[in-house]
Amino acid sequence: MQRRRETFFSLALPYRERLALERAVFTGGAGPRLALVSGIHGDELEGLFVCHRIAARLEELAERQPGSLLGSVELYPALNPLGLDTLERSVPIYDVDLNRAFPGHPEGLLPQRLADAAMRSLDGAALVIDIHASNVYLREIPQVRIARDFQGRLVPLARAMNLDLIWLHEASTVLEHTIAHSLNARGTPCLVVEMGVGMRVTPAFAEQVVTGILHVAQRLGVLDAVSKLEELTKMPLVADDGNVHYLNAETSGLFVPCVEHWSAVRCGELLGRIVSPLRGETLSEVLAPCDGMLFTLREYPLVYEGSLLARLMEVTR
Amino acid sequence: MSSAQHDESVLLRMTAPTREDFDLPIHDIGPRDVAPRVALVAGLHGNELNGVFVLARLASFLHQVASGGREGAELLGRVLVIPAVNGLGLNVRSRGWPFDGTDVNRMFPGYDRGETTQRIASAVLAATAAAHWRIDLHSSNVDFEELPQVRLFEPTDVERGAARWLGLPAVIERPITPTLTTTLAHAWRERGGRGLVIQAGHAGSLQPGHCERLFRALMDFLERAGVLVGVRLAEPEEDVHSFGPRQSFPMIAEHAGWFVSRLEVGQWLQAGDLVGYVYDGFRGDLAAEIRSPVSGLLSGIRRQPLLCEGDLVARILVRDIVTASPETYLMGHGQ
Repeated sequence: MQRRRETFFSLALPYRERLALERAVFTGGAGPRLALVSGIHGDELEGLFVCHRIAARLEELAERQPGSLLGSVELYPALNPLGLDTLERSVPIYDVDLNRAFPGHPEGLLPQRLADAAMRSLDGAALVIDIHASNVYLREIPQVRIARDFQGRLVPLARAMNLDLIWLHEASTVLEHTIAHSLNARGTPCLVVEMGVGMRVTPAFAEQVVTGILHVAQRLGVLDAVSKLEELTKMPLVADDGNVHYLNAETSGLFVPCVEHWSAVRCGELLGRIVSPLRGETLSEVLAPCDGMLFTLREYPLVYEGSLLARLMEVTR
Repeated sequence: MSSAQHDESVLLRMTAPTREDFDLPIHDIGPRDVAPRVALVAGLHGNELNGVFVLARLASFLHQVASGGREGAELLGRVLVIPAVNGLGLNVRSRGWPFDGTDVNRMFPGYDRGETTQRIASAVLAATAAAHWRIDLHSSNVDFEELPQVRLFEPTDVERGAARWLGLPAVIERPITPTLTTTLAHAWRERGGRGLVIQAGHAGSLQPGHCERLFRALMDFLERAGVLVGVRLAEPEEDVHSFGPRQSFPMIAEHAGWFVSRLEVGQWLQAGDLVGYVYDGFRGDLAAEIRSPVSGLLSGIRRQPLLCEGDLVARILVRDIVTASPETYLMGHGQ
């Protein structure tokens, strides 16, 4: 197995430094390419840890089972390095969401150039997995989100990813500028994984997803079929826009949940309370609108009226 | 509310986690028993100050007219004025909604049971969509100064005609990109058109010259729309030039460093004219003289001296059609 680390894009900053995008490439043979992308949002770190764990697993495999890598695995852990350096979700200076700047342009502003460089590098991969970590407000169970337009090609791959949930959603015009839409529209399949929470790493989720990624790599022929991998432990539920309930705050205050993330809840069950830091009373009780699985749960307690508290996938018992 | 004498209304009241409740106020001026004739909105971005200041001043003037305090002047139609949609952002000098960083002008048409900024968007749209004319005022971003101009997005002929009522020096047509489908202007368009967007100056500070021009432009518009009569404006209407989506030439920097320009927006340039200099950030050497490759109207100039490779330094509006439509990929905020 060959390992190389390379800069695939750089751009001059005002004072001496250059902004550089780096990738790590593990190559075992001329087989298909699998690419992992993360850090499009500078406040999402879960994918960076997944990249590290995949690198570690590939190095272990190379020692234990030499020759098992038939193609290439490419890691793009930090597509928004300035955002990661400065703890900013968007691209600093431009205040642009990089995941609304795709497919980009080689002669555009910095965010468009980053996007264009990524598109060129990822073109032709057998699969791109774009790993997100929600934001600093909400914790997500490991899931993949798929636009209906691309479900035929992507759902079979997603089922093998060892995830808890697949969320099929309708097309949205504004999402046409995402990396996933741009790649899928150009024929390079791309799965969007959401997991964990912003500014944190959740090792258990990472290990779960790493197992899934290795299984998908095997399925695609990036890894040979005889490599021994951990068993898949998850069979995903399939949510869609018809069975997902959004729970928004009815008033402002501190949200304190009283159930665990990814728990099965009953219709009418108390999920949490919104309380006032100035008074002893509870301002609002948050109740489950149906039986279901709580796949999104607010992590950041302060809420304004309307803030998202949880998402529930309705499950009929 | 104490605001009754000023005909202030409240679009939305909301609780806050640790401070007193807040609201989204609107000036509702003129006859109340008719549908609003004009709705004026600014401050969707909390750091774009020109529009907020001008609308607050204009509301003050229109209140005086409506109460008979301006001899000879009369308000014939109902005018809605929201100086700042993102009031919290304005108070803490933040472009987005400060609590979660959301760009309020990417939340339309909004949803009255959704996220906080979706609720704000929904309330603003519900109040303003009924107006016959709607105008949304912006001020670019903190890095780039725009000549006061009207922006039209795939407009109707009626909108093209009304854009000229403002008497601003440039009317610029732009394509609608997917990102723009979540703006207030687009939501208005989906509800029957007659919407205009104004860009003037740059964010983060007030440019009094641009503000005066904006104030005059809005007075002209109200007069031409038959809403305001009897107001004599001090300065004559300027020439208005119209430019299509492929008549905008963005100048992109090839070098990084310090960008310094003495130009003012609104100047007409000849091909080859000096636009500015780029100096190396560390060594200080002259890295490049930037000259305009085309002749045209300087509609925007970079005010942020720190320059990355690939940054926009100027925008020139040209008589002839530029081959591509490069504006579609220049998607920095405020652009």
